[in-house]
Amino acid sequence: MNCISCNTVLFGDNYVKFPCPICGEMIYRCKKCRKLANPYECKCGFVGP
Amino acid sequence: MIEYEYLISPDDYLAAGVHIGTQIKTHDMMKFIYKVRQDGLYILDIRKLDERIRIAAKFLSRYEPSKILLVAARQYAFKPIQMFSKVIGTDYVIGRFIPGTLSNPALKEYKEPDLVFVNDPTIDKQAVNEATKIGIPVVALCDTNNSTSDIDLVIPTNNKGRKALALVYWLIAREVAKIKSLEFNYSVEEFEAEI
Repeated sequence: MNCISCNTVLFGDNYVKFPCPICGEMIYRCKKCRKLANPYECKCGFVGP
Repeated sequence: MIEYEYLISPDDYLAAGVHIGTQIKTHDMMKFIYKVRQDGLYILDIRKLDERIRIAAKFLSRYEPSKILLVAARQYAFKPIQMFSKVIGTDYVIGRFIPGTLSNPALKEYKEPDLVFVNDPTIDKQAVNEATKIGIPVVALCDTNNSTSDIDLVIPTNNKGRKALALVYWLIAREVAKIKSLEFNYSVEEFEAEI
């Protein structure tokens, strides 16, 4: 699996996963992108955070 | 042209003061800011708040209520959170968040939620940090002065006002109850903290 924002490969506990608030597709965010508040975009078009 | 349909009348939003921000703005919150008033107060966009309340309700309803943890250290948020928990059945921590609540299994207060909902990411920083450490998503009510660092879903609102907090929690509770087909016959006043 890869981070939805930076596409880095995720391993261990360095990431957070949650369902997209709109479509329910699983979203993976790496620790760095979360810390920097990098925006993420789901396939359904939802842009977070 | 189709007009956007708000959850409640825009006048009710304005009367509760959910759009009133602070005199500080952060880069993270810029996309939710509508304008700056002459006295220097940044004003939040109520349409974006309305959209985010719907999204947050949908998001919360994807989790089991007992696995959602609401955290608030601000006094005006105690009552709305208690009412929210009563309606939806979520867990909550009000007042001081004891360090280790999410990360130290030896503690008496230890909890294992799947989602953390904080009232203010600046004040409830300990909860945000521990949620990040154990790898669970964080939903937060953010004002214009908050950073969205380590937050997965932002609800842009005034998170300081008594009426604003009551209205926002009431709306989210109502929407979650609607999605989960729960009974909901409470008024906003019942969610308001006493002065």
